[in-house]
Amino acid sequence: MAEASAVPMLEARDVSKSFGGVQACSDVSLTVREGTIHAVIGPNGAGKTTFFNSLSGFYLPERGSVWFAGRDITRAPNWRRIELGMGRTFQTPSIFPELSVRENVALGVRSKRNLAFRIRPASAEPQRKLDARVDELLGFVNLGASAERPVAELSHGAQRLCEIAMSLSTEPRLVLLDEPMAGLAETETDRIMSVIRGLHDSLGLTVLFVEHNMRVVLSLAERITVLDRGRVLAEGSPSEIAANEAVRDAYLGREVLEHV
Amino acid sequence: MTRGRIATIAVVVLLAFEPVLSPFIHVDVTIASAALLFAIAAMSANLLLGYTGLPPFGNAAFFGLGAYGAALSLKYWHVEFATAAVLGTALAVLGALVLGPFLLRRRGIYFGLLSIAFGQVFYFIAYRFTDVTGGEDGMNFSRPFLLVPSLRLRETAFYYLALVVFVAAILAFEAIVRSPFGKTLIAIKQNELRVRYLGLDSNRFVFVAIVISAAFAGLSGALTGMLNNSVGPLMLDWHQSGDFVLSTILGGSGTIWGPLVGSIIFVVGRDIISSYTQEGWQIILGALFVACVIFFPRGILGTALQLFAAKRHG
Repeated sequence: MAEASAVPMLEARDVSKSFGGVQACSDVSLTVREGTIHAVIGPNGAGKTTFFNSLSGFYLPERGSVWFAGRDITRAPNWRRIELGMGRTFQTPSIFPELSVRENVALGVRSKRNLAFRIRPASAEPQRKLDARVDELLGFVNLGASAERPVAELSHGAQRLCEIAMSLSTEPRLVLLDEPMAGLAETETDRIMSVIRGLHDSLGLTVLFVEHNMRVVLSLAERITVLDRGRVLAEGSPSEIAANEAVRDAYLGREVLEHV
Repeated sequence: MTRGRIATIAVVVLLAFEPVLSPFIHVDVTIASAALLFAIAAMSANLLLGYTGLPPFGNAAFFGLGAYGAALSLKYWHVEFATAAVLGTALAVLGALVLGPFLLRRRGIYFGLLSIAFGQVFYFIAYRFTDVTGGEDGMNFSRPFLLVPSLRLRETAFYYLALVVFVAAILAFEAIVRSPFGKTLIAIKQNELRVRYLGLDSNRFVFVAIVISAAFAGLSGALTGMLNNSVGPLMLDWHQSGDFVLSTILGGSGTIWGPLVGSIIFVVGRDIISSYTQEGWQIILGALFVACVIFFPRGILGTALQLFAAKRHG
């Protein structure tokens, strides 16, 4: 495993993307080492989401390249990135609203086990294993009690947890979380924070997340990359970032640093 | 035995009595056969509309390919009934294999428009290619025997054959939409982006759904042609596609039995009302459709099932 950790889990090299003349991110480079929790922060309009979407295959970057575990995935379609071992969540939970929590998670498990294309129903043994795996995932995010309910009926926070379980269902090595605390009440934030910490501590996954809530960022992240106006402004440990003059300037008069 | 299984058997038994009840309910067996075959084509539309979330505005192309495939194999190869049905279905599937790659990346209205365009291409081929297809008049033929020359299909025998094929089709349909593959289609309808972010190439699923849909439509077209002993270019026309979609929505898209309910209302209703008035049918159908959209937004069966489910949960 020593060699494996020498290769970064995720690497962006000079990624640029613009929308009709607006340069959303330019020459953004970032290295996420295996087994870390890495945060991307920045003021509104800094290009965080654009950059994030370029990493997950939602957008094709105009320039630069994206590498996953030593493999160039710049042009890989989104579903292929999941096959390779990435998982992601969205700012607004992307779920199957009318399906049960169980069915939402089961789809990813079937995907991982090459069962999603089957016309014949699974026989008893694989079905039992599949159910057990879904229960395990739901247990991890503490949604076991809601397994049979349609996801649309759940609270926003529970939908986010369901989405995290879905992103785990394909057994990723790296999980990308796009503003996991967006739109959540403070109590729900703590619940999700402990789940994200669990991704790292008990599942040993690498996590990259974009977040506005500085309390969350400073308590979770081991490494922080700050974007401003589409460029990397700074990168370092939480204490380095909190002490960084340029970061303070970028945030000056803006809402975020008052939490620090 | 589940509630659903019992209901299925009850409906099939009821349908089996149609030829006996025919004089009393004034529904001719030929019309009843047409309704069952129409329902198979509506199921084909339902797989795309109700389960995958794609507007199947060109499914008449597959229906017509099935009909012409059967008719041409009768004309040139003088095959028996079952062979003609299989060859017709095969031609529809072949059509889907050719068109599928162009359709599988389109979604929403673009899928619908491209489907119409492809359908109209086949319509004009049938219309213009007179030497082979009979052009505007289409092709007339006498109904072939089934497997052996002694098995002649008169109207009642045809009805039971249509019923057997229909039951086989609906059981296959049920198995497909409840399979892991079918569940993936339902997930694509609800949130395709998430399906892709679960590591599945949704286009592959859409392609297979189009091919399965074409097989159902083609089978329906082949048998409908041999029910009427004729095929014509209108079977390929976009109005025909619209009728399948309309019947599906009327009965309940996204439900297994909805297309049958819609097809019976559509085919039997059209037959009864046309015997009184020529243009009246279009007006009544329009009114029925508007009423359905307002009062039964999930279609007749879909709304009924929803109310039933709500009652059971208190």
